[in-house]
Amino acid sequence: MMAPNLDFLGRDVVSARDFKRDQFEKVLHAVDDLESNRGSLDGALRGKLAALLFFEPSTRTYSSFQIAAEKLGMRVSGFAGPTGSSITKGETLHDTVRMFEGYGADVFIIRHSKMGAARFAAENTDVPVISAGDGSREHPTQAMVDLYAIHKAFGRIDGLKVGMLGDLRYGRTSSSLAYALSNFDVEITFIAPEALQMRPEVSQFLKQRGVTPRTERALKDVAAGLDVLYVTRIQKERIPDPTEYEKVKGMYEVNLESLKDAKPSLKVLHPLPRVDELSTDIDETNYAQYFVQAAGGLPLRMVLLNLILGGRR
Amino acid sequence: MAAPERERMLVSRIEEGTVIDHIPDWRADTVSRVLRLDKLARMQADVSVVILQNVTSEHLGRKDIIKIDSWHVDERDADILCLVFPEITVNYIDEGKVSKYSPKVPDTIEGRVRCPELNCISNTEREPVVSRFVTLKEERLLQCQYCDTLLGFEKVPDHVRT
Repeated sequence: MMAPNLDFLGRDVVSARDFKRDQFEKVLHAVDDLESNRGSLDGALRGKLAALLFFEPSTRTYSSFQIAAEKLGMRVSGFAGPTGSSITKGETLHDTVRMFEGYGADVFIIRHSKMGAARFAAENTDVPVISAGDGSREHPTQAMVDLYAIHKAFGRIDGLKVGMLGDLRYGRTSSSLAYALSNFDVEITFIAPEALQMRPEVSQFLKQRGVTPRTERALKDVAAGLDVLYVTRIQKERIPDPTEYEKVKGMYEVNLESLKDAKPSLKVLHPLPRVDELSTDIDETNYAQYFVQAAGGLPLRMVLLNLILGGRR
Repeated sequence: MAAPERERMLVSRIEEGTVIDHIPDWRADTVSRVLRLDKLARMQADVSVVILQNVTSEHLGRKDIIKIDSWHVDERDADILCLVFPEITVNYIDEGKVSKYSPKVPDTIEGRVRCPELNCISNTEREPVVSRFVTLKEERLLQCQYCDTLLGFEKVPDHVRT
């Protein structure tokens, strides 16, 4: 039997900043293997316990982790949102983690509204912690899902021009994806109104990595050159002036009209759920990669759990 | 009488305590805030504080000085001051003997600075969490180790925990 993968064994996944290119690639290739039936992971973690602590409601992240854990043969415990849990009674993250550690959890999967919650949890337990999103900071496993969707569409990530559109400041998936992409030879363009441009710490990190993204205000100015368009929603309440929101929202809606100059090979990604920023016009075109992207969440999370908990190789 | 001589007469030597020197002129209030000198008043501690402002300085032209009788300022607080005022010097006085401390930019700061991101886990009152920053010295920034938010050195006094 081969030795377990020491890059991942027992490690926390609390930020995409913590991972290097070869580690991302290892995950992507393991998902390739799983998807092409070169190895099954069903039952690989039989008898282990996954604690899913979702202090904020979630549909697809919760479900994909739950199904991934169950397919791996794990038992699943925890809660899918604050309702009906002791969180409503004011139980802290710290105490909840300690309690589930006592119950024998082998891995924590945590979503929380506070930025840095996953890192704090990881400091307070010896059990690996996977962030399923913390406030508007990061969503590192979604970044891996996003990378996989790009890798699957193009067979590579290097050499691509990636546009990231919408609420980059408060969108946790965008920052994690930007961190992840900084490991590859890509051209990044941030497309957002000024108030919703990427947070300074993200730009600072990219600068340290030698990546200087372009910033643009409108999709129409850059659509023609892009290989990948990563769309996120602009929430009305994020823009202080309602008239400003009405003015800018059209600039960030993706539909056949706004993509009229796009390359035929363009792939549109979206972490979902969408509201009105991504038109259903796109769904049946070759641009749409978001359902493929969402489907990748399951095998990717299986692979990640398997790597962290030292299951089957 | 020349100005420096007049100034020398303003305050007598202290036998025990701390003298913070080379504070840029009219910035003693910032130093006082970082050192939480108001806390001494709340504690009703038996200490006296003298703040001299806009006195003559060979190096700076003009400067402020703070003398704290019977109180030794924590070196970690002095290091935080160094983020904003790199020229500052701290003299500890024990039984009339002076020992100089040159504050240095620390590698990490724990517990003393509040993260400017209100939604950071370190600002959650009920969690047993202590704020922690690393310094990015070249960029003159602190970075929160929980939420990664950046804080410029010059803004640190506004975020010191009181």
